[in-house]
Amino acid sequence: MNWKKKRTGGFEMKNAILRKLQEIVGEEHATDDIAICASYARDQHWHFVPPKRPAFVVRPANKEEVREVLMLANEEKVPVVPLSTGINIRGLAIPVHDGSILLDLGRMNRIIEINADMKTATVEPAVTFGMLYEQTRKFKLRPAFPDAPLTVSVLTNYYLRGIYQTSAADGHDHVLSYEMVLPNGEIVKTGSRALSSSLPHFRYGVGPDFTGVFCSHPGTCGVVVELTARLYRIYDNRKAYFVGFNSIEDAVPFIYNVMNDELVVSLRLVDNQSWLKGMCGTYDYDYESLPKFVLCALVEGIDGIFEAKDEIFNEHLRNFVLSEGKGELLDFPEEFASNFFYETLGGTEKSCMVFGLRGNYHCIGLYGPLNMAPKYYELHRRTAIEVGFPEEFVHFYLNPIYPFHGQLCYVELDIFYDGAAEGAGEKLREYNKKQFENLLNAGIYGWFRPYAGIIEPTIERIGYLAEIWRKFSQILDPNRIMNPGKLF
Amino acid sequence: MSLSKDEIKRAIYHCVKCKLCSIATFHPQEAWSPLCPSGTYFGFQAFYAPGRMEIFRELLEGEIEEPTEGLLNAVFACTLCGACYEKCRRVSKVELPLAEIFEEMRREIVRRGWMPDAHRGIAEKVRRTRNAYGEEEAFESENLKPTKGADVLYFIGCTARFRVPEIADAMLCIFDKLGVEYQVLEEEWCCCSVLMRAGWHDSDIVREHIRHNYDAICESGAKTVVFTCPGCLKTLKKDYAEFGADFSKEGIELLHATQFIQRLMRERGLDVKELPLKATYHDPCHLGRDLGIYEEPREVLSAAVEISEMRRVREEAWCCGSGGGVKSAFNDFAVWSAEERLKEAEETGADAIVSACPFCKRNLRDAAKHAGSKLQVLDVVEILNEAL
Repeated sequence: MNWKKKRTGGFEMKNAILRKLQEIVGEEHATDDIAICASYARDQHWHFVPPKRPAFVVRPANKEEVREVLMLANEEKVPVVPLSTGINIRGLAIPVHDGSILLDLGRMNRIIEINADMKTATVEPAVTFGMLYEQTRKFKLRPAFPDAPLTVSVLTNYYLRGIYQTSAADGHDHVLSYEMVLPNGEIVKTGSRALSSSLPHFRYGVGPDFTGVFCSHPGTCGVVVELTARLYRIYDNRKAYFVGFNSIEDAVPFIYNVMNDELVVSLRLVDNQSWLKGMCGTYDYDYESLPKFVLCALVEGIDGIFEAKDEIFNEHLRNFVLSEGKGELLDFPEEFASNFFYETLGGTEKSCMVFGLRGNYHCIGLYGPLNMAPKYYELHRRTAIEVGFPEEFVHFYLNPIYPFHGQLCYVELDIFYDGAAEGAGEKLREYNKKQFENLLNAGIYGWFRPYAGIIEPTIERIGYLAEIWRKFSQILDPNRIMNPGKLF
Repeated sequence: MSLSKDEIKRAIYHCVKCKLCSIATFHPQEAWSPLCPSGTYFGFQAFYAPGRMEIFRELLEGEIEEPTEGLLNAVFACTLCGACYEKCRRVSKVELPLAEIFEEMRREIVRRGWMPDAHRGIAEKVRRTRNAYGEEEAFESENLKPTKGADVLYFIGCTARFRVPEIADAMLCIFDKLGVEYQVLEEEWCCCSVLMRAGWHDSDIVREHIRHNYDAICESGAKTVVFTCPGCLKTLKKDYAEFGADFSKEGIELLHATQFIQRLMRERGLDVKELPLKATYHDPCHLGRDLGIYEEPREVLSAAVEISEMRRVREEAWCCGSGGGVKSAFNDFAVWSAEERLKEAEETGADAIVSACPFCKRNLRDAAKHAGSKLQVLDVVEILNEAL
């Protein structure tokens, strides 16, 4: 029976589903109360994804309960929207259809293992970056941090896209293996986990890279219940630099050489009015007196290597910046450097100050080569002004990533705005529509995440791959219960 | 505080739902410390500040039209401790205190006639007996030796009068030992803190009690009113003023007991003996986050005992769980919150957890009994009384 038909069948069917859900997870962990469901109805992306309540919220405690919920939903053909720690700004966990089950995985918050010898951590969906780092630092290890609040889920962030940018040195593949429950109740284990669950530490197990194939689906394949990720060393030797540039073009040669010689653990080019405030940890500084763009860099390493890297970094600074008059070394207070360490290699907290600039935050995140960065910025600036945003609302952020093949960079085109202001939503939608096309025409490697409005203009450009992708999703989820409407 | 619909919606739209409000400041301690008792206990997003704001949005937009059990739980099972706001304003430019928004949400709900039975019960008790516990007998103590017309008036509060009288007794003894003449109101009526925290601002009872207490205090001739209950102090200082009962216009100073004692200690250099007790101090929400009084209780307490601080203190103190009408309506949750605080207090190696609020003491004491904790639960004035 189609779930839509059932919905119109009235409360009886809804009550029956609720009863079954409560039998699985316990009465207090499943509800259809409208107020409880309302709290899941909207996220920061509401200008693009309209608010919608799920019909049920279910909070399973373990993978077996997840499995039973999915099997029930599959049998009844009820949509399931997975959510890990309750934070999402892309509308990915806002239901599209009536009658949806919101699968709140918040109770599954165990750190299953930290293996210091293997430099890996195995976590459940609701383990946050803060929770994990609190434990890994005891072993002088850290996870790769996203530039998202440290309250977000490790598993979901890695799974949705395994590329993270706060540390350039961490590279772009943090996921080793995971365990996923499919709608039919089957459990899939990827990487070396497929052969031995006690050895989940290698990405490539049998056959193709299934870990990668399943990744980056917004809850549309199944539910990942356990994931093993890489951890990275924490070094005692660290030094921060802040370099000012008046244009992105001026910064590019220096960034290229520093990345090419693999000198820094972190490198971020930001404009002087947005993310820089979070990097420095305060609103109270004369940021307007600074050059338009500021490069925040961090050199680290063990004794000997650290000093050598630092020396070459300074040499590049002289050769590509100072001697050519392209930029200047900024003399910031010591606490700015400390805050930058924390934000970059200890989990993002103060960076969230950007949310407070004008109240709301919009960005297009993409991957592309460094040499395209000036063009991306210019397109961003031009389009934002074209749709009616003042120039001071236009912000920018660039992070190069190792290995630097293809000059790989994460680029963020930001608009900080007042979401309560009339017309803000219309302008943003107009901006997105134009900018997606502009960027696709200019050439990008890919989008940061699959999110609202981004799939449609992209899918038509990828040829037969789109057809394969659709068929792949259909095989895993023939009844289309997994977060329907978020991809196709 | 009465907020406009636009102000509230603006605040709701500006919440980006990062949920940093649910944990204490992470750097540089790099310790994961939950900050929101309600969200931590109940789990559903509805019990964290961002989710609760979504419920308010739906209420204002007419999407929620009936009082479900979940609605009343999500709205009222929050102590309005304000820790979420204190954290939020460290990482954003949040405009409105979240506790005030949530109190406004309750006010909106109560206007519609939806409220927990426990709060209806309190309102009825207040109406009938003029105190929040429905006690028929007046407060009595052998230590009560008031002087009519004295400059200092002790506003005792319902909880210290009827549930934790040892706090009132200690304060009365302190006045006596310090030679401070004081008076109490012949008819002290409930300040209505609990009713206002529960959203009953618009009820006649609240207005009647504000008028009575305001007139009685003004007519007493007192220049300074001393409170051992931060809830009463906050209510008379902030809420009454919004109803036009502004004591500052009458030249009447409102002080918490620890402020009053600190002043005397500084002016007179009181002879306080050291007690063989290691204590940890629990910041009451109304005293700390609402009134910004963090130093005075510590200064008074440290004159008598050694203080060992907990992980979450001051603006980021974990709430004891009793405020905002929670103790009366959700006692299990209240006691659980207090047990979490006791665990943290025990980690410090202290012999006693000391607060400066009868509500905190009562709930922490209940939790200590429930959990079988060996920690003593005391109030600052009890310690000081012992040390004088």
